[in-house]
Amino acid sequence: MSATHAVRPGEAVPGPRARSHGDVWHVYRAERRKLSTQLATRLLALFCVLGPFAFAGVLKIQSGSPADTLFGVWVHQSGFALSLVVLSFCGAWGFPVLAGVLCGDIFASEDRYGTWKMVLTRSSTRRDVFAGKLLAAVTFSVGLLVLLAVSSLVAGLLLVGDGALVDLGGRTLSTGHSLLLVLAAWLLNLLPMLAFTSLAVLLSIATRNGIVGVVGPALIALVMQLLLLVGSGVWLHLLLASSAFQDWYALFTTHPFFGPLIVACIVSLIWIVVSLGGAWLLIRRRDYAGTTVSRRPGWVVPVRVAVGSAALVAFLAIASNWGPAGDTAAKLKASIDPSFNNLTILQQRELGRTVARGAKLTVLPSCSRRAATPTGPGDWICTLDVFIPQPGAEPFQQTPVTYDVSVQSNGCYKAESPPSFVGQQTMKDASGNSVVNPLFVIYGCFNPL
Amino acid sequence: MSRSYPTEIARKRGRIVTAVAAVRASGLVKRFETTVAVDRVDLTVQEGEVRGLLGPNGAGKTTLLRLLFGLVAPDEGEIELFGRPLGSSDQVNLDGVAGFVEEPTFYPYLPGRVNLELYAELDGGTDAGRVEEVLELVDLSGRGGDRVSGYSTGMRQRLGIAAALLRSPRLLLLDEPTSGLDPAGARDMGRLVRRLASEGTAVLLSSHLIGDLETVCDSFTVLRLGKVVWNGTAVQLRDQAPGSAYRLATSDDARALEIAEQHPQIHATRSQSGEIRLAVQGRVDAYVLDLGRADVAVRRLELVVSPLESMFFALTTDVEPDSRMLTELAEAALAGT
Repeated sequence: MSATHAVRPGEAVPGPRARSHGDVWHVYRAERRKLSTQLATRLLALFCVLGPFAFAGVLKIQSGSPADTLFGVWVHQSGFALSLVVLSFCGAWGFPVLAGVLCGDIFASEDRYGTWKMVLTRSSTRRDVFAGKLLAAVTFSVGLLVLLAVSSLVAGLLLVGDGALVDLGGRTLSTGHSLLLVLAAWLLNLLPMLAFTSLAVLLSIATRNGIVGVVGPALIALVMQLLLLVGSGVWLHLLLASSAFQDWYALFTTHPFFGPLIVACIVSLIWIVVSLGGAWLLIRRRDYAGTTVSRRPGWVVPVRVAVGSAALVAFLAIASNWGPAGDTAAKLKASIDPSFNNLTILQQRELGRTVARGAKLTVLPSCSRRAATPTGPGDWICTLDVFIPQPGAEPFQQTPVTYDVSVQSNGCYKAESPPSFVGQQTMKDASGNSVVNPLFVIYGCFNPL
Repeated sequence: MSRSYPTEIARKRGRIVTAVAAVRASGLVKRFETTVAVDRVDLTVQEGEVRGLLGPNGAGKTTLLRLLFGLVAPDEGEIELFGRPLGSSDQVNLDGVAGFVEEPTFYPYLPGRVNLELYAELDGGTDAGRVEEVLELVDLSGRGGDRVSGYSTGMRQRLGIAAALLRSPRLLLLDEPTSGLDPAGARDMGRLVRRLASEGTAVLLSSHLIGDLETVCDSFTVLRLGKVVWNGTAVQLRDQAPGSAYRLATSDDARALEIAEQHPQIHATRSQSGEIRLAVQGRVDAYVLDLGRADVAVRRLELVVSPLESMFFALTTDVEPDSRMLTELAEAALAGT
């Protein structure tokens, strides 16, 4: 504070100086230092680095695979599939939990330690403090996502190998193509991750309670996951931040579709803007009056919040039927037919049988939902009548293959058939090696829009 | 009412020298729901001035400091720091201002030194030497590496002062700064404040105990129920004080009581313990001289209630400021209540 210039008597010192990004940068540096010294942050980073290796190691010593997850059956065959399985897990639970643990306490901790009055009485303005803390939260969120992406890829490639990845249309992808798509898939999770980070920040500020900030995003993600399971309409499902974690599947279809991806990005941005806008308004208008302001004690507020939340969830459950049905029999048939064709050809080739290039099965698919409503997510049944050419009076032998299909609201599905029809999960290839039976489980996705 | 301080004082440390007040607040009002915490308060603190903000608990001292720091927004009124408006809540300009409200707070899981480095970072960063310098100044250099969670209240208080000094402030706002400090620490704190003031720093100290501030402040603002009930210099406060109270022990107490009756400004009584209590309006010198002339040896004459304390009590309570009040204050002070 040494003088660099004098002001004449009677003259006021200069007014508020123009704020620069430098102030935000200093808050950011302080916050980054605080976060990096916290045990939770270090444990999370360690988990992100070692978790995929541990997962790959466990898979290595057992024959089972996470077949319920997209690409799950391929984890023993392709390191890329392992990375995608990790991504699927993270999208469902991991990212909201990471965002909560990392950022849910970033503002509330100042309330808990009573340090707002110290922080806000330094040179930095509230705007600087908000922006600096937010930037630190984003840095760590993105950092953990990148750590997980790199770690899962390295773990997959080192412990499983760079075996060919079979996409959701049953095609075999080259190593370079696989790597590109896997990286793109992780990248697409960045915006929804930031949406949950913003949500954690909002909860942290609004409730001034670190526990709510930490647990809140995971709970909200859970509710969103449940809402994605009910209703057949597409509008609400598209607006849920959780659904944006799942739209990368579209990249892996035979004919990639980008509508849901674009919507997911827009929806994530809306969540970010609304959450951060609300958080900033709260910070900006708040009085840091310590114990002067009496806070309403007891159960009134928690009960109100619980009742309000329950009413909101009930309303959203009803709203989940709004809009056109995303999952229809026509879309499912159109998707499963070429996948079955491609996977059958793949199976035949792996068994050492010669299949002509461009060969195509003659398949007549029929799908129906196992419920009163003919559309929507849930359990479906698809029968694929395969017509095999044969000599004789009847030129085709009709062989029906029935799949139980579990369809999600985002248009992705998993189709399983009894082993009596399609064989076991693994089979011996032409060289006698144990490989995945491509027809054991069919994963696929169609455009719900 | 505030004393005007020559700009030469502020010039000593090569600071920006201005003729504007460090703090100028006018018509401040702050309400919390139905409570008016600060009610049309005017306050001025000049550079180089040490002003005491006095008042009983709940008088509005801390809220006033929060208003000055921009932690709460006033419902009415204006605040200028060094001639510039404080600004809206998201753009509060606290350049040159430091201090704390209530007790200073820190991240308990981090060492004291790291806490200071973090706070310094929020000011734009500082060199490690400055952090060591302020730790040395508050006598914490040996404990700077310890986590704050292991600090005593007094150590936290000293660390809070160190955090404030990091910024080389031109205006220091301290809320109950001697709270938790031992007598030696409180004395050092007073010396430090005086030294800073002599270098041109404006200081506003709040306390509910006038004894903490009596020897440190140049001027006082007394609050009661959110309103300013007195504002002026320490000299004016002493002059207007209702009196003082002494504890007296002599070689002949009965004679001393008789002599006291000849001094209308002195009201002498015997306490339950048999000691003499003097309630004095003005000076006690003439009475002491008379005791000497009457061959009554003064074995002990102890100031129990200072003029400032009596004034503070009179201003912040509804009790009539008379000799009885002084005597009761003396009894309370001696009983340690």
